[in-house]
Amino acid sequence: MPGAKTLGGTPAAPPLARGTVRRPVAWYRSWRFYLVALATLAVYVYGWQVTQIRLAELWRGAHLIAPFVTSLASPDVAVRANVLARAEAPFYYGRETPPAAASASGPLLHLSRSTGAIGQQVTAVGEGFPPGRPGQLWWENQIGQRQQLGPLRTDERGRFTATFTAPEVLGTRNLVFVEVVASVGPLRPSPTLLLVLDRMVETVFLALMGTTMGVLFAVPFSFLGAKNLTEHFPGGKAVYGLTRAFFNVARSIEALVLAIVFTVWVGLGPFAGVLALGVHSIASLGKLYSEAIESIDGGPIEAIVATGASTLQVVRYGVVPQIIPQFIAFTIYRWDINVRFSTVIGFVGGGGIGFVLQQYINLLQWRQAATALWMIAIVVMLLDYASAVVRERIV
Amino acid sequence: MSDPILRIERLTKTYPDGTRALSDVSFEIARGEFLVIIGLSGSGKSTLLRCINRLIEPSSGRIEFQGRDITTASREELRVIRRQIGMVFQQFNLVKRMSVLTNVLTGRLGYTPPVWALADYFSAPLVDRALANLNRVGIPEKAYTRADALSGGQQQRVGIARALMQEPQLILADEPVASLDPAMSHSVLRYIEELNRNDGITVLCSLHFLSLARRYGTRILALKGGEIVFDGLPAEIDEARFKSIYGDDAVAVEIT
Repeated sequence: MPGAKTLGGTPAAPPLARGTVRRPVAWYRSWRFYLVALATLAVYVYGWQVTQIRLAELWRGAHLIAPFVTSLASPDVAVRANVLARAEAPFYYGRETPPAAASASGPLLHLSRSTGAIGQQVTAVGEGFPPGRPGQLWWENQIGQRQQLGPLRTDERGRFTATFTAPEVLGTRNLVFVEVVASVGPLRPSPTLLLVLDRMVETVFLALMGTTMGVLFAVPFSFLGAKNLTEHFPGGKAVYGLTRAFFNVARSIEALVLAIVFTVWVGLGPFAGVLALGVHSIASLGKLYSEAIESIDGGPIEAIVATGASTLQVVRYGVVPQIIPQFIAFTIYRWDINVRFSTVIGFVGGGGIGFVLQQYINLLQWRQAATALWMIAIVVMLLDYASAVVRERIV
Repeated sequence: MSDPILRIERLTKTYPDGTRALSDVSFEIARGEFLVIIGLSGSGKSTLLRCINRLIEPSSGRIEFQGRDITTASREELRVIRRQIGMVFQQFNLVKRMSVLTNVLTGRLGYTPPVWALADYFSAPLVDRALANLNRVGIPEKAYTRADALSGGQQQRVGIARALMQEPQLILADEPVASLDPAMSHSVLRYIEELNRNDGITVLCSLHFLSLARRYGTRILALKGGEIVFDGLPAEIDEARFKSIYGDDAVAVEIT
């Protein structure tokens, strides 16, 4: 009687026979649900405490990271190679008098005194500079360390006057010099960009060598780690077990940890990174390859065995054609991971761009750090895209 | 029957899980016969065929091929025996990603030096022969197509061409048409029949349909529960025998 159905109710079900399956209990009526909910809550409360999550820090520390965020918009990628007009004059501490400067042509710098003590006011006068240009007054001490004394600008006759306080430095024989921007040169890649580029190339090749090492060793190992190939041979089960155990152990150790171990072994540098990535890749690829081999269709192998083919021929014509596309896909995938990973392996001294990135961050050189980060982002994205295209073509 | 090409004596196969797939099977095949094996699924047809070229190791019994015992053959002897026995499969068992031509050429692997495989080398006369065999099964134009781009019937014909490359004395066909539609079934079986009649290749073929068995077989062998329950001419299978082979509930389905 469909018409007799009341709102929210269902027609009376036929009585259940003894021993039949009972209706399931609604989730909100089950005490298990509340128990699980309570347990989950407890887990997250503890997790919140143990990981010291303090959201307020995000706000309080914002000013510390602000220069970095603004630097992201102005990475150090290009500089102008300016033509400078330079002049210098000695300034000695103590009673020593500097030798008289040889009379030179071009711009000249005169100091109000050439001998004095720390903290004295000195006036510098320059002449013969390009007119209306910005410049900088520098102080260089006895061992060549420089510091800025202040900016200046030349007048329309190419002269300037600046006053400075003799700074507190070690040594007595100092040099005051001035640099005025004579003309603005063309934009050139900055030294930072060139260094970062150089490290990026190293990074990409680090990933390439690591992946190659992984593939070279993983391919033969994967055949030993495939159940369907080893089980027919005497002792095959033991070989299979050992290979799989090696894959699992080596995979469980993070490549970063391996990199630390290898820097101890072969010293700091990209070679340690190659070894770390290589060993990790052997294990990861070996496992993926073995599983690819295990999932192949046994039919063609049976057919080729039936023709009287030898083991080598069976592998070449029965196994290899079936696994090639998967092997290539897995390899590209791994190379992808390795490029991303090789950008941080430098943090522990394993070579690559991570090393300079870490230095820039530690020295608070945010614009340089931004250059490195952008470089990583762009290269990883490009390789990501390229590998996606290749994988799509093959599989 | 003079000098049988294949003599099977008390062949028994027990799988590791205890299943007895074949028990005490004995029969002979004379040269040039088209022997059809019928029986329900699980009656031991596939096991029997695979024991003959030792894709499955028999538990006990003797299998003599042209007077040589297969069951005791060494690896190298087995290779020489296997290359004289072609095999055609229900699922065709082609290597899907390889070209049709390469699939056909793999039929010759039992004769070529194994190291050739490393360079994927086949001599020019072999390639010519492979093309000729493809021509024989009616698909010469598919030589450079990938095997998985072919229809089921075409794939099975590639399977036959592959078996032909072996210059076999005997062809084992394991339900060669079970995955094909009726029209294709006849087309494929006619190719096998032609090899049997014109080339004198002995055929041992398992089939599902009694009508096909009657049409193509020169002799029929029926298996039930791993034992031979019938061995005779196609015409001798009447209603009573049919029920004894397939069970009382079975109804003969005609495939024309």
